[in-house]
Order: sequence, then structure tokens, then C-alpha cells
Amino acid sequence: MAAKTAKAPAARPVWVIGGNRIPFARSNGPYSHASNQDMLTAAVDGLADRYGLAGERVGDFAAGAVLKFARELNLSREVVLGSKLAPETPAFDVGQACGTGLEAAIVMANKIALGQIDSAVAGGSDTTSDAPIELNEDLRRILMDANRQKSLQGQLKTVLPRLRPWMVKPEIPVNQEARTGLSMGAHTAITAKEWGITREAQDELTFNSHKNLAAAYERGWQDDLITPYLGVEVDGNMRADTTIEKLAKLKPVFGGKEGTMTAANSTPLSDGASAVLLSTEEWATERGLTPRARFVDAETAAVDYIVKQEGLLLAPAYAVPRLLKRNNLALQDFDFYEIHEAFAAQVLATLKAWEDEAFCKQRLGLDEPLGSIDRSKLNVYGGSLAAAHPFAATGGRIIANLAKMLEEKGSGRGLISICAAGGQGVVAILER
Amino acid sequence: MSTTTLKSPPKSGPLYLKAALGMTPLAGKRSKEMPQRSVRLENIKTDPVKLSDYCRVTGFTMRDTLPPIYPNTLAFSLHMSLLTAGDFPFPAIGLVHVENTITQHRPIGVSEPVSLEVRATPIEPHPKGRQFTMITEVLVGDELVQVAESTYLRRGGGAQKDAPVKTGQRPPEKTKELPAIAEWKLPGDLGRRYAAVSGDRNPIHMHDLTAKAFGFPRAIAHGMWTKAHCLAALDNRRSDAFKVHVAFRKPILLPAKVELAAAEHDGGGLDFAVRNVRKGTPHLDGTIRPL
Repeated sequence: MAAKTAKAPAARPVWVIGGNRIPFARSNGPYSHASNQDMLTAAVDGLADRYGLAGERVGDFAAGAVLKFARELNLSREVVLGSKLAPETPAFDVGQACGTGLEAAIVMANKIALGQIDSAVAGGSDTTSDAPIELNEDLRRILMDANRQKSLQGQLKTVLPRLRPWMVKPEIPVNQEARTGLSMGAHTAITAKEWGITREAQDELTFNSHKNLAAAYERGWQDDLITPYLGVEVDGNMRADTTIEKLAKLKPVFGGKEGTMTAANSTPLSDGASAVLLSTEEWATERGLTPRARFVDAETAAVDYIVKQEGLLLAPAYAVPRLLKRNNLALQDFDFYEIHEAFAAQVLATLKAWEDEAFCKQRLGLDEPLGSIDRSKLNVYGGSLAAAHPFAATGGRIIANLAKMLEEKGSGRGLISICAAGGQGVVAILER
Repeated sequence: MSTTTLKSPPKSGPLYLKAALGMTPLAGKRSKEMPQRSVRLENIKTDPVKLSDYCRVTGFTMRDTLPPIYPNTLAFSLHMSLLTAGDFPFPAIGLVHVENTITQHRPIGVSEPVSLEVRATPIEPHPKGRQFTMITEVLVGDELVQVAESTYLRRGGGAQKDAPVKTGQRPPEKTKELPAIAEWKLPGDLGRRYAAVSGDRNPIHMHDLTAKAFGFPRAIAHGMWTKAHCLAALDNRRSDAFKVHVAFRKPILLPAKVELAAAEHDGGGLDFAVRNVRKGTPHLDGTIRPL
């Protein structure tokens, strides 16, 4: 028999058709009793309604949640099985902290580009209200040891002498880096101090975030991006009437008395879910759908924030220049910059790092700084400080927003940058 | 027909007391005819916490629209207020829920206030006694969005052997043929769990002892829980406008291991059933059809 070589299809362009999310709500608010599965199903069904996906076998569905129960190991697949998508739609869970939503979209886009699938949905959900509380870790280990004993007597001998009253205390998830013991806010306070990010600059970015998001709602811009959930129609964290003066009155919450980070210029804990539809142009055309923007390329970087003392949330500063180089672009070659606002300080430190000659030469290995961006192109329809940030849901919100912005503009290019726990950064380019 | 509009849902405690009194001679002489009147409750807002509790017990995903069976649950206190009224021809306790049909014209948003209007149809003969149907109309503003029909049997007097059963039942061999798709282990406290989220504290579902007082060997699963659990399992496989009919067969004695059997129907929709896993005894026959 003649030797044969299997031939995979060549890479193809991938398009963002659109997205859907439920309004984001503040923790312990209106979604307190909704699970990740409930919220993500609502977001996916809204997407299915908008793009006629009911009963459709989509090529793949990738989604995740940062805070999830052990029993939700197959969260994405369970969402498919409860949604309007055809039950024959395969699904898998993705986890990369706050980068989950964007990384899910990257994985899906890659599969489409490689010709493995023609369409995909990427999503994410998170709830800090319905969070997993675990059995006390010491008690869990004792019970597992007991489980390994064969006799009841052996089990009792294993358990009884080791039981302590405080073991009734459950393990509650905490926002803390495992290897440094510092919260994300505490890490960012260090970054803010190191880069000299002022309180005023942070409050100004926060104010713009709220102002821009409120304006987007005002003109109905969010109508084909959001479906209401449990009576909520607007992001609960948004303060349309906030002022710089009001923001300036808040006390710092990170970095001690001299700290610059407040409850307003840091994202609050929140609940929500989002989903985006990606496909080839052909798949979209066959269904009468109009692609909004092309998913061009993506890059993920990680930094050593432990020994090398890099900023925990500054990994996008590394990811972006790599992505630019590969695509032969300069930082200024964009019409929109969608930088996830985990903290105003982290956005500003990232921008400052790109302007800094020493950082760009020594850390990034560039010949010259990336330079500054036109701030009027930054998060023009609001960012996470206003919309809030249900961890895994943020990627979907930003992709859907940027795709719509590019469609409205007619042609152009946008940069997405999302920082994540563990010193990681996920970035991507959309173009039309 | 006269309509009484209630200001707030009737409290279930006093209604049960009335229901219990209805079993004693104190109730006095009962009328022979079904009173032609209805009770109405307006602008009921869904409490998301109660809804989520209901969804957890029945298995529904909490969406932005109500589980189609939920308004029927909200109407329970209205049913009871008619059933326990002095002019009602039968004592409430001892009525057997034999069939339930829900016709949903469109999904109801969680944040849409609904109005409920409940009335009973005239009494008709049944092969095992007499039957009537409680009709629950669910309205959003003036728009009729859903109609629920619960048919009850009063065993004993007035039976006519050849009387038609309200909407008929699937032939037993058809139910047997449906393939099992899921096995459910129903815990002994299921009746109490469902009572906590539905407000329906009928003693036959609550404890073995209280069920024994009414002739059941053990507590039995609530038919509306069983119907809800079937609908939850098939929730994404139906159209938005649809009709779901179930006939309740042998009661499920708790705890129990039962199976859901279901198959797609040729003309659209699904046929389903709940059966005892070991014996194959049918507990519920159901159909889902697009409108």
C-alpha cells in the first residue's frame, strides 16, 4: 500500500459573531441564590436566542468558573445539556483564573482556525455569593485516612484521637496568592507604589469607567450584548452619578494609611456570566449571521512575581510586545484598547511600564519603549471597575464589546489585555 | 360567575384546619353542585429566593423565565381556599389528583408580576367516583399566558363505569415501551422538602405516620414534584409554547427508586413516564406537545 500522509486543512480566519451576558451583580445581591450553572445557562440561552442557535450542534463549547464546586467538574457540559444548544454539542472546562473567559475563546478560535470545527461558543461564569465552602482540611484528611481502614474499629481508632473541636470550622475560599500569602489588592498596592501611580490618576480612570458604561446604557448600546436575569437589567455596580469628588473621599483599602487604592478604584466581588459565538465566515453566512470582527491572534505570558518580584498583575506588559512583534504592529496601531480593570492601579502601571525605557529595555528586551497610547481609545464603553468583574465572565464581556465597537467603526483594530492570578496575562487582537 | 379578588394569598395554616374540620360532621351538609365562582389574586411578584429554593428541590435551572409549573404552585393556596369553602361539594382531604395539564402560551419572565384566577368545573361522573377540574388561568396584565388544569377524583358515590376519563391515559403497553433515561433515588424526606418550597403540606406527603392516617403505608411523593422533576429533566427539549399533560397512576411510596422514561414523539414533543425501577409499576404518564 502506498504511504499516505493525512492532510489537515490550512489555518482559516476566525470571526466573532457576537456575544451575550447577563448583567453583572454585586456579591450577595440579586444573584445570591443563582449557581454558576444557572447563570451560564442563562447567558448561553440568550446567545442562542439572539443568533438562532436553538437545537444547533455547535462545534465545541469551552467555559469555566474560577470559584467552582468539586461536583461541577463538567460545568460546561452540564450547561450545554440544560441549554437550547443541541445536546450533541461537546464541551469542556477551562481554568486560568481571571483569564479563563479569554483563554476559552482563544482555544476555541484555534480549533476553528485549524479546521477542526466551524463554530464554537466560549464562556465563563463566576459567583462569589454561591461560593464553595469546603470541609475543614484537617478533618478531610482524617476522614480520608478512616476511609482507607478496613474495619469499623480501625476507622474509629483513626478518627477519634485526632478530632478537635475547631475542625468544625470550614475552609472558605480566599482571594490570596498561594505562594505569597498576599491578596491581589496587596500585591497591586506594591505595584502602585513602585510605579508611583497616584490616587488622582486611579480615581480618574474609575470615573471614566463609570461614565463610559453609563453612556453606553444610555444610548441602548448594550441592548444586543445583554439579556436580563432575575429582574436585573443593568450592571449593579455601575454608579452613573459618581463624581471625582465622591471618589476622592473614600478611604484606602489596600497599601495601609498611605495607600492609594479604594473600594471604588478596585473591582468589587461580583456574580455574572457571559458567552461569545465564534465561527468561520462561511458558517456565519450559511446561517444569515453577520460576523462582527476577526479574532486575529492571542498571547499568554506569565511572570515570576515570587523571587524576581515582578508585579503580580503586570504579565500583560510582557504578553503584548510579543503579540505585537509577531503581528508586525506597534502599540499605537490600534483604534481601541480594552484593558481589563482589575484595579485602576494595575491598568495605569501597565501603561506606564510600556512608556518606561528601562522596563522595556531590561525586562522586555526591546530596543526602545512601546510608548504611550491615546487614552481616549481606552475602555470607551466602560471597564471592569464599572461593570464589575465576575472573574471568568470578564473575557466574554470584553470580546463581545470590542467586536461590536469594530463593527460600528466599520474597520479597525482592537487590543484586549487581561491580567490573572498567578502572575499571568492573556492578550488578544481583534480586527475588522 | 362571580369573582372574589383576594388582597393577599390565603394563609395555609387556617386552610388546613378548615380542611381537617371538613372531614368531621361539623362541616354540615354539603351542596351537590359545584359553585360557579372564581378566586383571583393579582400582581404576584416572584421572590427570587423562594424560586431558587423551588428550583433546587425540583431540579430546574434558574433562568430568567419561570419554570412552567411554578405558577401552578403559586396557585395552590387559591385552590385550597375554594376546596375548603363552605359551598364546596366535597371535603378537601381525600380528593385524589388524577391528571394535570399545563398549557403555556409563552414563557413568563421572572420579573413579570402575574395574576391568577382559579375556578372549578362542574362535577362529572368518573369510573371510580366523581371528578372535577380546577382551572388556573395565569395572566400577565390582561394577557393569558398559561392555563393549568388539575383534575381531582372523589372516590365512591356517583361512579359510572363507562364514564370517560378526563383526557384519557396512554395504553399501559405504550408506557412500558418507553426507554428508561434516568434513575432517581427519592429520599424519605422528599415530601417535607417539597412542602417547604411549595407551601403544600398535605399530610399524605409529610410523614409515614400522617400518611398512614389516610390509608397509605408510607409517605408518598407529591405528584406536582414528580411532574416538576420530569419537566426539569426535559426543560430544554420543548418549545416555548407547549402543553404538558400528565396522568398520575400508582403513588410513589417514599423512599423510592424510580426511573424516568422518555422518547421523542413523531409529531414533535416527547412522551414520558415515571416507573418503579424494580417492578415497572407506572407512577405517571406524560406527554409534552408543541402548541
